[in-house]
Amino acid sequence: MAKFIIKRFTAMILTLWVITTLTFILMHAIPGSPFNNSSGKAISGAALKNMEAHYHMNQPLSIQYLIYLKSVATFNFGPSIKQPAQTVNDLLGRGFPVSFELGMWTLIVAILSGVLLGVLAALKHNGLIDYIAMTIAVFGISIPDFVLATMLIQEFAVNLQWFPAGTWQGVSYMILPIIALATGPMAIIARLIRSSMLEVLTQDYIRTAQAKGLSPVLIVFKHALKNALLPVVTVLGTLAAAILTGTFVIEKIFAIPGMGKYFVDSINSRDYPVIMGTTVFYSAILIVMLFLVDIAYGWLDPRIKMDREAR
Amino acid sequence: MKKWLSKASLLGIAVILVFAFSGCTAKPNASSSGGKEILKLNSGAEPTSLDPPMGYDQVSWDPLNNLMEGLTRLGKDNQPQPAIAQKWDVSADGKTYTFHIRKNAKWDNGDDLTAGDFVYAWKQMLDPKKAAPAAFLAYLIAGGEAYNTGKGSANDVQVKAIDSKTLQVTLTSAQSYFISMVSNPAFFPVDQKVAEKNSKWYANASTFVGNGPFKLASWKHDSNMVFKKSSTYWDKNTVKLDEVDWAMVSDPNTEYQMYKTGQLDMAGVPADLSSQFFKQGKVHVAQQAGTYFFSMNVNMKPFNNINIRRAFAMAVDNKQITDYVVKQKNVPAYGFVSPGFKDPSGQDFRAHSGNLYNYDPAQAKKLLAQGMKEEGWQTLPPVTLTYNTSDNNKSIAEAIQAMYQKNLGINIKLANMEWNVYQSQQKAGKFQFSRGSFLADYGDPINFLENFQTGMPINSMEWSNSEYDSLIKQAKNEKDDTKRFALMYKAEKLLFQQMPLFTTYFYNQTFLLNSKVHGLVFHPAAYIDLKWASKTN
Repeated sequence: MAKFIIKRFTAMILTLWVITTLTFILMHAIPGSPFNNSSGKAISGAALKNMEAHYHMNQPLSIQYLIYLKSVATFNFGPSIKQPAQTVNDLLGRGFPVSFELGMWTLIVAILSGVLLGVLAALKHNGLIDYIAMTIAVFGISIPDFVLATMLIQEFAVNLQWFPAGTWQGVSYMILPIIALATGPMAIIARLIRSSMLEVLTQDYIRTAQAKGLSPVLIVFKHALKNALLPVVTVLGTLAAAILTGTFVIEKIFAIPGMGKYFVDSINSRDYPVIMGTTVFYSAILIVMLFLVDIAYGWLDPRIKMDREAR
Repeated sequence: MKKWLSKASLLGIAVILVFAFSGCTAKPNASSSGGKEILKLNSGAEPTSLDPPMGYDQVSWDPLNNLMEGLTRLGKDNQPQPAIAQKWDVSADGKTYTFHIRKNAKWDNGDDLTAGDFVYAWKQMLDPKKAAPAAFLAYLIAGGEAYNTGKGSANDVQVKAIDSKTLQVTLTSAQSYFISMVSNPAFFPVDQKVAEKNSKWYANASTFVGNGPFKLASWKHDSNMVFKKSSTYWDKNTVKLDEVDWAMVSDPNTEYQMYKTGQLDMAGVPADLSSQFFKQGKVHVAQQAGTYFFSMNVNMKPFNNINIRRAFAMAVDNKQITDYVVKQKNVPAYGFVSPGFKDPSGQDFRAHSGNLYNYDPAQAKKLLAQGMKEEGWQTLPPVTLTYNTSDNNKSIAEAIQAMYQKNLGINIKLANMEWNVYQSQQKAGKFQFSRGSFLADYGDPINFLENFQTGMPINSMEWSNSEYDSLIKQAKNEKDDTKRFALMYKAEKLLFQQMPLFTTYFYNQTFLLNSKVHGLVFHPAAYIDLKWASKTN
């Protein structure tokens, strides 16, 4: 196991380096400049020169790359160009907790409801519950979250006035975005669970368990579900990384101060420090999630050995 | 195991109940303001910076204009009024200004506001190491440009504190609009004592020190700001609002929904409902000093020919565009300087200068033929109109394309580009025919006209005219306002004789406003002013 972790860790660092280098090349390959003002105000030549010098952008690209690598290695990305009063770490430090909170609730809701729907559908295969559950799932997959979000606001905030339309000030502000965000993943999870449950339920060991007279609940939750979870866990790694680091559209629609907007806004404004900050941060989270998924595989299915190569 | 399941389901029900309850208890527009006047606005985004010369955009300067105050403040009539400066004297040559700062001018932490705070702030703005985007606004101070471009030192900048309440500034030339310019947020003072101890004093509410009608009470970054009426402001009795809450909502639909549910008092007009709201008379319109125009690159065919440029201008019906394409009650523009600037005789610059060209398709057709004859062309070289990607720009470009087809019988191509790329390409003079926009930084026609001097960043038409350059230079050195306006009238006329650009409309701001809110002041060339605003409960 230790060997496996060391190996994976080295691979993770390498992956990060490749990602950061690609990001650096790509972001400098996009035409445009961080000093173009979003309101289109023209900045005079001298002010522009001062600003370029301030952000080392008058240096050759190779030097900029070294400065960049250093900031990635120390996880200190310096000030944002678009918001000079804030450092990139400030932006991530206040945006991530919000996105994380929203994301955690979303994942909990999506997994619980998704698994429940999937299991019910599989147990009552081709029955009424199955059709209802799968209708909900198809609905969840096909309606984009931003459409759902707009509908939720119109109905529950404007018409019924149960919840506020936007901003982030407490529990009542969280309900609509969680529903909007969780519905899609819930549907995906429900469909995955249903199909893998159907497969597992026909296997011999389940039949054995039934023959031994085990209670149906025990069979489903202890024996069947554990194996049926494997495909869900595979999806969860990338899903969790994406959801926990914030989503641009949902955060924008509900005016949630998460970090989702930095992914898109930083690219539009060519805010180089923020682009690299968000990219490195997201990649790190994603890599950690994939690592956790690998660990979870071994726990769910002992046949998958982590240090197979070490044999 | 059945027990376990029932436990789980109980938990599930409990979770659902908690959610349902919390939903019921927290209604969004609990209007329990306790009789206080609380105005709820949306800034649209986190301010770029509340450090005066660093913000340089509306999201920063709209709030800042109410947290701080300069030597002067624009009145409800857009004219500069005494503010932190009680009065001022101007030397005979019009170059040296002596400002007398109010005895009771204070920072909201109780510090005395001194002339030194202005000297400190303005030298900071010009410091090349600080790299402030708004620094060029201070180039009219003698020594300012040299310091900012690294050719001079801070000591040569001609701004001095004669004593703690007297500030003396010497300009490069007599420029009477300086009095209006110092009301701009870039020229706000900075509490030197605070800034020297904490160089990031402007980054958080706890350290921010202002001197305006409101005090920054709290600031949750990316989320909201709360302003409370200042108790140290010299004119605090005029201020009626107790509190201003600024949300930071970027999505226009959400903004509108929040306006409908009472979470906001003001919102933009949603595009798909705009004609309906205009019909119902619910839309407020405020003038904005700025112009939507099209540049024709005089170094590229066919726009090297003046008659062809004029033909392209005269074949576009601006009224059609404002009435049926933009539909935001904009004023069609047949000149570059927007309405709202009075000359010494009290007449509006735009009204005096009049329409400098007209929509005249028959004349346009003749001019096109004449131009092509002059150049010896049988067919017109291909023309591509480039604009930055947006629905409004696209609709306008398509309307213009159709007008050229109909009025001149020519087909032009359209191209669009993402805003940031567009700006870089346009500055580099890469476009043949492109959409341009200008928003004024300060309230004087010279701010509009100076852009078309040779080599200025907005001059993407690559136009260079020595007579025009010299007219602008003379206007900038003229201390007699009557003569100065005469020079500017002449310059604008010359610009449209040569026609390196044609204009479409003047900008405005349209918005929906809670009928309980009164006294909001919008300045065409400046930022929202809440000093006189009130809200009846």
